[in-house]
Amino acid sequence: MAVTEYIAPRPAVPERCLPAKRKAEEEEEEEYGYARLLRRQVEEVFRNNRMVAVCQYNSMPGEDMVLMRYYLRKHNIEVKFVLNEIIRPVLSQSRYKNLLPLFVSRNILLVSPETKAKEMLRVLKGVPQVNLLGALVDDTILSRQGVENFAKLPSLEASQGQTLGTLALLPSQTCSMLQHGAAHLTALLDGHIHQLQAGAGKTESPAGTEPAQSSGTQ
Amino acid sequence: MASRIRVVLRPVKSIVVRFCPFESNVESTRTFLQCINHKRIQATNRNCEVSADVRHDGSEPLVDVMFADGERLIMKGANLTTAEMLTALGSRCNAKELKAEQKSKKNP
Repeated sequence: MAVTEYIAPRPAVPERCLPAKRKAEEEEEEEYGYARLLRRQVEEVFRNNRMVAVCQYNSMPGEDMVLMRYYLRKHNIEVKFVLNEIIRPVLSQSRYKNLLPLFVSRNILLVSPETKAKEMLRVLKGVPQVNLLGALVDDTILSRQGVENFAKLPSLEASQGQTLGTLALLPSQTCSMLQHGAAHLTALLDGHIHQLQAGAGKTESPAGTEPAQSSGTQ
Repeated sequence: MASRIRVVLRPVKSIVVRFCPFESNVESTRTFLQCINHKRIQATNRNCEVSADVRHDGSEPLVDVMFADGERLIMKGANLTTAEMLTALGSRCNAKELKAEQKSKKNP
């Protein structure tokens, strides 16, 4: 008799559940739009700047942050806060994949169209809460030690001048080297002539006095 | 996380955090450095020097804590989580604080 018992059908899923899924999708699309904008901004940063330094950001008082930003801005270096979830996909698709391990916990980027590494290091020395991890300078990934070495290099103009000076040194000596043999020979001949003249002068003066004596005796 | 694990840095003289950022096992050490620099923990001892030593030699991440009584705590962060490192440091600091309090009670 249990077979003929009435089994009530399960109640249908209330409609509240279905619209909620659509809302989550809409939110995802909105976030996706904002995330896309942030990713585009990050790509632009990497494209337009010659120097991008990655630093670990430990919490620091607001006034120190403002002062640091001010001193860096004086050297045309901007401070940008980045989110790891935005920057990781951008880097994994670009050719800077080796920078990926740096983006763990809170980071900031110090970006600049110039490569003033010395000034940047000087400012960061006064800020112990920001630790330089590495940098991307002119499409080259540098470690912290690499940035310090890069800062010690002379400027491009100075090194160009030094190279030109070294290259011009040898040709400047060629002229004197080529003339050296002939000049040496000339000097030797001159000296020889002087010696002969001096010797002839000595023989003439005793020869001059002898005829005078002989004419005197005669 | 830093606010949940209370670390009193009074018995600590200096903390040096050494790591190589291009390695893949440095996350917990870097997060530890971030937590240690939090204002609440820093406020417990303004004289404690916290410094970061960033290298590129493939060495293991290391936290070197020097206490005021000469004791030294070295934590190799490659296989530790941040919470473990913080609780280890916190428990040692608390123990030293208790010892110091007891000494001061005995010698008024």
